[in-house]
Amino acid sequence: MRRILRDIFLFFQRDLRIASTYRSPFILEAVEALFGAAMFYYVARFVDSPALREALPQGKTYFAYSLAGFVFFDYLNAALDTFDRSLLEARDAGTLEPLLVTQVSLPVILIGSAFYPFAATMLRIAVYFGWAAAFFNFPLGAANWPAVFVVLLSTLLAFSGLGVLSAAYLLLFKRGNPAKWFILGVSSVTGGMLFPVGILPPWLQIVAHLNPVTYAMDAMRGALLNGQGILSLGRPLLLLLAFAAVILPSSVAIFSWALRRTKITGTLTHR
Amino acid sequence: MSDAAIIVDSLEKWFPPALGGWRAFLQPFTPPTTPALQGISLEVKQGEAVALLGANGAGKTTLLRILATLLLPTRGAASLAGRDTVRESAAVRRQLGYHAGSDLGFYARLTGRQNLFFFGRLNHLSDDFSARRIQSLSERFGLVGALDRQARTLSSGTIQRLSLIRALLHQPKVLLLDEPTRSLDAIAAADFRHFLKTEILAGKGTSLLFASHTMQEIELLADRVAILDEGKLLAFDTPTALPARTLSTTLEEAFARITGRKLYSGGESTPE
Repeated sequence: MRRILRDIFLFFQRDLRIASTYRSPFILEAVEALFGAAMFYYVARFVDSPALREALPQGKTYFAYSLAGFVFFDYLNAALDTFDRSLLEARDAGTLEPLLVTQVSLPVILIGSAFYPFAATMLRIAVYFGWAAAFFNFPLGAANWPAVFVVLLSTLLAFSGLGVLSAAYLLLFKRGNPAKWFILGVSSVTGGMLFPVGILPPWLQIVAHLNPVTYAMDAMRGALLNGQGILSLGRPLLLLLAFAAVILPSSVAIFSWALRRTKITGTLTHR
Repeated sequence: MSDAAIIVDSLEKWFPPALGGWRAFLQPFTPPTTPALQGISLEVKQGEAVALLGANGAGKTTLLRILATLLLPTRGAASLAGRDTVRESAAVRRQLGYHAGSDLGFYARLTGRQNLFFFGRLNHLSDDFSARRIQSLSERFGLVGALDRQARTLSSGTIQRLSLIRALLHQPKVLLLDEPTRSLDAIAAADFRHFLKTEILAGKGTSLLFASHTMQEIELLADRVAILDEGKLLAFDTPTALPARTLSTTLEEAFARITGRKLYSGGESTPE
């Protein structure tokens, strides 16, 4: 186990080194986050009304509600996107084959390569909320941080499984990320990112209730904006963990099968 | 207990045909119908150097990739340092150094040294050991000046030498090299062959299986030559016995007689 953690850290170290050779992206992303937070603030000022606030299931202002939804969506995107992107980069740079003849297994390569992008996403989220709190009165003081951490971890477990499934799809079909397309596409309407799912027609509300993103979003807003603790978020957290318990082992099994298949068909490093 | 470093037993590899358009979605499930290796059996002894000689598509790279655990055989078995390449792939990887002959395979934004340290750590080498090996191998290959430059700024010949250093870094018992001198200039290629002959093979117990189109390289390095054609092993003997067996004056002529192909100086061969 210690060796696996050490190997995972090696990939983090590698990506940090590579990222440090590019000087400007972090500054540009930080500036972009400031403009993003400003955009949500002014949209909220334009549409905010007592009736709208009354209709919000969580949060006291539409600004806090919509920014939390948008930023959390970015986090989901990272969970769904990172695994297949790191595999794609290794394949296209020609480093996948040299990596595969080392002592490190492909699952460790995959998890290790996902570590830095996740850390970078967390940093981006922190910068977003930092700007929002500093300039636009985002209510960070209301957050229950242990609960926020548990929600982020549960979400990561639940949606990483889908990310691993995407990586398996990439191994087999070489392009495309159907899990991301499907989950983010459906969730942009039914996940409650910018508006409560209660305003959807009944059949879409059924889709929303079947969608784990809805529960993750509810739990995150509950912890971040309403200060709810872990116990009071029991139902959405349990549903997320149940989803993770099903999807993670299945995705690992499917990924192993896809890897074996590509070693049979000889297409492991094909583009 | 066999003293063979590599045992290849009745090895077969079949690939599915390449599908285009919407049928590409069926590719992962398409049954293999194209033979790449057909019942290959050979042994490489400890400390022995064996060359794979054959036209493009003869199966040389496929054989090397199966031994490097990057491909699964369709039938038959292969073992390296006594370990089965399918069932004990992690143990096999501990014993082998693999050079794919590609000019890719390094992180463009990292320096040569950072790349080599990274791969050394993934092979669980200590940093002290890696540092010593990187220093001595880069001095040997004339790479010291290039080690601290980003890989994206290096020529393909330098990348090739970096890749050879990576294959040698952990002092593997078995070296699998696919066209190891393809991108090297004549002097660097001769120097690398000399290095292999005097410092890796001579009495060191390291076994070498390499694919090459260069007769000079094969004659200098190989104890035995395996001639492959369309996935079949047509002959397996010493570089001097093969011409004698076929009443030829050179290995090139022997290759032409055995395969029914003619080998031109560029390494390409065509059916006669």
